[in-house]
Amino acid sequence: MLLTKAGSSARWRCSSRHWMLILLTALVAVSVVSLLIGAGSVGPRQVLGLLSGSDHAEARFIVWELRAPRTLIGIAVGVALGVAGALLQAVSRNPLAEPGLLGVSAGAAFAVSLALVLGASAATLRIPVAQLGALIGCVCVLSVARLRGVGSDPVRLVLAGAAFSGLLGSLSALMLLYDQRAADEIRFWVVGSLAGRRLDDLWAVLPSLLVAGAGVVLFARPLAALSLGERAASGLGHRPGLIRWLAVGCVALLVGAATAIAGPIAFVGLVVPFVARAIAGPDIRRTLWFCLPIGPLIVLTADIISRVVVAPSELPLGVLTALCGAPVLIAVVRAKRLPML
Amino acid sequence: MKMTAKQSMSGVVLPRTSTAYQEEVSAQAVAAPQGYWRAALPRYGVSVLLEKRAVAVNIGLSAALMAACVLYLSLGSVTLSPNAVVASLIGQGDSMTAFMVQQLRLPRLIAACFTGAAFALAGVLMQTLARNRLATPGIIGIDNGATAFAVASIVGVGVGIAPPAMALAGATTAAVLTFGLAAGSGTQGYRFIVAGIGVGAVFGAVTQLMLARVAIDTANAAYPWTVGSLNARPASAVQLLGIGLALGLVAALALARSLTLLRFKDATASGLGTSVKARRLQVLLLSVVLTALAVAVAGPVGLVALIGPEIARSLSSARHVPILAATLAGALVMVLADLAGRTLFAPIEIPVGIVTAVVGGPWLLWILMRPQRSRP
Amino acid sequence: MRHTLLQRGLLGMLMGGLLVGTAQARTLETAYGNVEVVDHPERVVTLYEGALDAALAAGVTPVGAVTTRGGDNVAEYVTDYLSAKELEHPEIVGVVREINIEAVLAQQPDLILAAAQLPEEQYQLLSQIAPTVVPHTQPLAADNWEAEARLFGQALNREEAIEEAISAVDQRVDAMAEAVAKAEVGENAYLVRWMPGGPMVMSENLIATGLLERVGLDVQGGELIGERGVHSDVLSLENLSQVDGDWLFLATLNDDGQAALDSAKQSPAFNRLNVVQNERVVPVNGQLWSSANGPLAAQAILDDIENALLP
Repeated sequence: MLLTKAGSSARWRCSSRHWMLILLTALVAVSVVSLLIGAGSVGPRQVLGLLSGSDHAEARFIVWELRAPRTLIGIAVGVALGVAGALLQAVSRNPLAEPGLLGVSAGAAFAVSLALVLGASAATLRIPVAQLGALIGCVCVLSVARLRGVGSDPVRLVLAGAAFSGLLGSLSALMLLYDQRAADEIRFWVVGSLAGRRLDDLWAVLPSLLVAGAGVVLFARPLAALSLGERAASGLGHRPGLIRWLAVGCVALLVGAATAIAGPIAFVGLVVPFVARAIAGPDIRRTLWFCLPIGPLIVLTADIISRVVVAPSELPLGVLTALCGAPVLIAVVRAKRLPML
Repeated sequence: MKMTAKQSMSGVVLPRTSTAYQEEVSAQAVAAPQGYWRAALPRYGVSVLLEKRAVAVNIGLSAALMAACVLYLSLGSVTLSPNAVVASLIGQGDSMTAFMVQQLRLPRLIAACFTGAAFALAGVLMQTLARNRLATPGIIGIDNGATAFAVASIVGVGVGIAPPAMALAGATTAAVLTFGLAAGSGTQGYRFIVAGIGVGAVFGAVTQLMLARVAIDTANAAYPWTVGSLNARPASAVQLLGIGLALGLVAALALARSLTLLRFKDATASGLGTSVKARRLQVLLLSVVLTALAVAVAGPVGLVALIGPEIARSLSSARHVPILAATLAGALVMVLADLAGRTLFAPIEIPVGIVTAVVGGPWLLWILMRPQRSRP
Repeated sequence: MRHTLLQRGLLGMLMGGLLVGTAQARTLETAYGNVEVVDHPERVVTLYEGALDAALAAGVTPVGAVTTRGGDNVAEYVTDYLSAKELEHPEIVGVVREINIEAVLAQQPDLILAAAQLPEEQYQLLSQIAPTVVPHTQPLAADNWEAEARLFGQALNREEAIEEAISAVDQRVDAMAEAVAKAEVGENAYLVRWMPGGPMVMSENLIATGLLERVGLDVQGGELIGERGVHSDVLSLENLSQVDGDWLFLATLNDDGQAALDSAKQSPAFNRLNVVQNERVVPVNGQLWSSANGPLAAQAILDDIENALLP
């Protein structure tokens, strides 16, 4: 509505700026809370005591060695999953496209099971293997997305993804039948969590995150043109096929990186663009900008909840996001009509 | 704009075809149309048109199923000749063979036939309903609900009800939730499917959580319910499924004409005299009940619901929904898959759910990669 | 091949019937009621690691057994034992998750020893093949294995051999307890399994933790587990100091204990524990320490404890 009225675009931009400010403030606040609260005995008082010069070794260690890396990783995972979701939705022109729903995470999980069965331990090979798996998953999704008719039928793509995920899950189960050691390890990996992840993991995936980020910056404009339709995009001098391939490549890098660190975390890629679009409107470039603060905001909030509800243990993050994200999925389809992207 | 134009066009065209069809029928009341046989009981004034191809396909599938059953009873840790199988079935032969055939292989074979048939029947119903060959009860979360409840029963969360009953309860819960969440969103089938995927994701996450929180021994005990297995299944659940399957098959055949019409656009179907909403609900209920009963026996063997109808469709003409053929094909797939799982890596058995997944996987990918040719 | 098997089956059934008829059948009390077993079982199939262990300790080599969790064969300490004594290895009749009932039947057993968790549907079929002995389910306790081993010993008609095996464990434990008290190596211990997200604390009601207690180490961590079972949830790294005792036994998932220790050491929270600084972390085989059961397993665990505490 606002966009269609000529005179109001200035007002829109203003309110958009307000939104961004609010979101960034909220992100900073949540990050601080993430440093203050945990499953352990070190609470806000001890942490704040550090600022006033107290020398609480336990608190110092927990904040700097455990919570700070975890917060950073949470931010990176949130950004990666949010942006990947927005990209995938724009490319497939499908508001239901979500890396987890479409089997990208299942691809990564499958690859990790395979590596475990072949003898790797969960700690060492996780990163490269999961990225490879996500890439393969993405290629499969792409092959589906390229088919005629898929773009106009959002559900078909989701069904294909669900079927694909189910298939990979069964294949993983087959391998794990023979290898209980891997079965034992994998059941903790498939629930997804930020616990115990180290900064080294983040550095290992940083290159792919940066490459993907640069890619997104480069083709954001053609991508926006693509949302006008293939012909319009070609008319503006872009090459739709190339853009789509590049975008999917970026999605694979982003999701692979996030999944490699944290395991499969469902529905973040669905919820983040959903909220971002509600604020930013249909323009993909604006949506992508808004995904940057919203993704980490959601992941960190979920992570903080996962730390405190069953202390002294922790709830797996992936379970929490699935429980919160599924209602959003249903809300999207219950909306009067599916917005065609 | 485009949509409405199409709809109004079909609204104009279709009554004409339907009257043409009626005229044709009345003119050729005696001779059957090409490709059909006419089976008549003149005394009662009843006559049925049997499609030749459908009859041939059903007879062929039945024969294949019979052959597979004989193979199933013969092969295993101890190989028996078909003669020995028959002998032990009618109570002759030595007691060990009799025990192996009557107590071990036959009940399992029956469970395989029933579950395969029920899954495939439920699958073909839901695919027709959703006009999507990937829409199976397993994919929309009914299996996940059943698994979550059965696993909860094994790991000791909640009450101490036996896993099959809990699986039934879980399948029902998932279906009711999906119904509830999709209610009021119009008659479009895809909302139901997506709501089901959402519900399934929640149940899947809960299952993972439960499995991650228990000891590996308990996780092992829950394993057959997470992949689907036919090893030593409870007889009561199989009997219940048998009754449900018989009733369901009759109901599905009675709905056959409406099903054929449901494949078209809603406007077309109601134009041809089907009350779309009521039929859709009936078909959906039937599909859900069949799946729930089958899951309570075998656990989630979802891909059979995809493979069975797919085989049936590739054999049958596109004129009708191949209900009987899909049911037979489902039973055939299940029997062969369990036979393979029992014998290929003996003495270690592969659960049937994994075999169907491994066989169905490439098939699924082929369906996905292939350009959409015709609607189910 | 087929005929000989069938003939043997027929013969076996006949002989079984004769034995039951002439010799006095013994009656055992099991989880599924009273079960009559033959006087001298010859062909025993074990569907449970504890039963395999007890049978071997009683001097009976089963003809069939299920694989251990974690491999395609019986547990490593069992294969070591079998090879050392030059006994025949049992045929595999399935994995714990899927027992191949036909393979059990093909072994022509005259006695089946199973786990307390055997589902009723499987019991119904197995008990038609041979008398099936299922111990009562009991709340998890460190000395459950003794009662189970005694029941299996009774079923095998080898009560004395089992009593001897159990008292051998008792004597060794007492001797070690004295030595440990003299060596003053510490007071308490934790048994954990390391996950990338943090440790899972194993119950003090396992056979391994029970033995640690009996040789004089106070095993901690029960409050983290609660009533639920054999291990806690994955403990938050922030609470790692809760497992910082005099000794830390690190149960691994594979046989390469050093690799598991290295992977744990990648975590700074693990490295700063006192028990790590003092180098009192002992990697042990999780197959043996957290899932095995029986007199032979007890001896093997005691070997590990002796190596660690009394080098």
